Amino acid sequence: MNKAIELKGLTKTFGSKTAVDHIDLTVNEGEIFGLLGVNGAGKTTTIRMLTGLSVPTEGEAKIMGLDLKNDIDKIKLLVNVSTQETAIAGNLTVEENLRFIAGIYGVEKKDLEARLEDIFDSLELGEVKSQRSKTLSGGWQRRLSIAMALITGPKLIFLDEPTLGLDVLARRELWRFVKKLKSKVTIVLTTHYLDEVEALCDTIAIMAKGHVLAVGNADELKKSVNKDSLEDAFVEIVGGEKK
Amino acid sequence: MRSLVFCSRNIKELLRNPLSYVFCLGLPLVMLVVMTLINSSIPKPEIPSGVGIPAEASASAAAATRVFEIDMLTPAIAVFGLTFIMLFCCISVSSDRTSAFLTRLYASPMKSTEFIIGYTLPFAIVAGAQIVITYITGEIISLIVNGESFNIGYMLLSLPLFIPSVIMFIGLGVFFGTLLNDKAAPGVCSAFITAAAILGGIWMDIDAMGDGWVAVCSCLPFYHSVKYVRCALAGDFGGMVLPILICTAFALVIFVASALLFAHKAKADK
Repeated sequence: MNKAIELKGLTKTFGSKTAVDHIDLTVNEGEIFGLLGVNGAGKTTTIRMLTGLSVPTEGEAKIMGLDLKNDIDKIKLLVNVSTQETAIAGNLTVEENLRFIAGIYGVEKKDLEARLEDIFDSLELGEVKSQRSKTLSGGWQRRLSIAMALITGPKLIFLDEPTLGLDVLARRELWRFVKKLKSKVTIVLTTHYLDEVEALCDTIAIMAKGHVLAVGNADELKKSVNKDSLEDAFVEIVGGEKK
Repeated sequence: MRSLVFCSRNIKELLRNPLSYVFCLGLPLVMLVVMTLINSSIPKPEIPSGVGIPAEASASAAAATRVFEIDMLTPAIAVFGLTFIMLFCCISVSSDRTSAFLTRLYASPMKSTEFIIGYTLPFAIVAGAQIVITYITGEIISLIVNGESFNIGYMLLSLPLFIPSVIMFIGLGVFFGTLLNDKAAPGVCSAFITAAAILGGIWMDIDAMGDGWVAVCSCLPFYHSVKYVRCALAGDFGGMVLPILICTAFALVIFVASALLFAHKAKADK
């Protein structure tokens, strides 16, 4: 299986604070990969480095076979991100937001029309396509934010805490959409919701204090510490780090 | 191409904000009309013959009301209108930064220069429209109040001469928008607008206020930006050379500084 991401000793420091500490990870193409951890674990910093938003202090990273340091401009065309905060242009309509971001990435017109149709259909945004995005509810805005990441046709998409601040129904709706995306794109998802990674992710990396403590699917992680639930396994793994 | 896409988004955001019409177009026109009405209601001093009024005091009184004459007021209000362009540019940049919209774009293939062009062009277009509308309104008021037209040749010549001032105020907008968050930006810009109006001599004749005040105002660009467009409309080409050169120098320095600050902040945000 091809590798979407390969990290070797990736590190990020801010002054004397080490936010991400020599992490090694591999993400295979086509999977939903979850970065799980409490606040301050280093999940968002890792994503920021892999999307060119932050420069690594040390280590190597390959995205779709391209070197993060030397090929960042090429990588940016293959990757997109939906940030923690909903990042949309409030006075533009849903469709205008999508056309805008496609224009920034230079998506060809014929591809754009097909992708718009696909996104309106799969994310059910068609019914609100003429609505100003600032008038949408939080759940719909988050859906648009993800759609804006998809319209550019990325091979790899980062969803940084995509369900943060959403109510239970909106979260479940979003899960359904993320599952739909699986066949189309490799997804790296950060969250601190255990049920979310269990429901969505093929592989989970547990992070704490900038370290990757364990990697595997939900069953493997539970088995590794002889626990029946992912929550107990997570507490055991992260608690072990605290000791 | 990317900068044009970004420019298109910014101009849509600006034109869909009702407040931009109120402040960028409505307020300058209202000021023009109100100041003209106030000026026409001020009784002109009648000095009886033989009364010994010092010549200096008499000239000062005349200068105080001269700035409210429509041919002096129109170019000054056009410059004043640009301070609101600065305000909206600042709010646009700071809102994008605060809302994480720029974070999304930082992750895209966009470069710093494309951001700067994308922010500058829409506001330059709106500023151009604002100046033309202010001059047309000034011309109409001049015809109604004074029964005479501006010199059309001088008026047409004045319009492109606004370019340095437009660049300077957009540069200031990007500068403050990069430094401030969306909560602080409107307050700081409002204080700046008031200071620019006072130090630029929009409502008063700086030259009649003494050498000390002129020296202070000459150190800043606003006095020069108002002075040269007044000279241009009056056809005083000799008088506008130095102010336009000073204003152009300020515009270049401010614009380059704002672009560098934006690029630096974009890296620092990373």
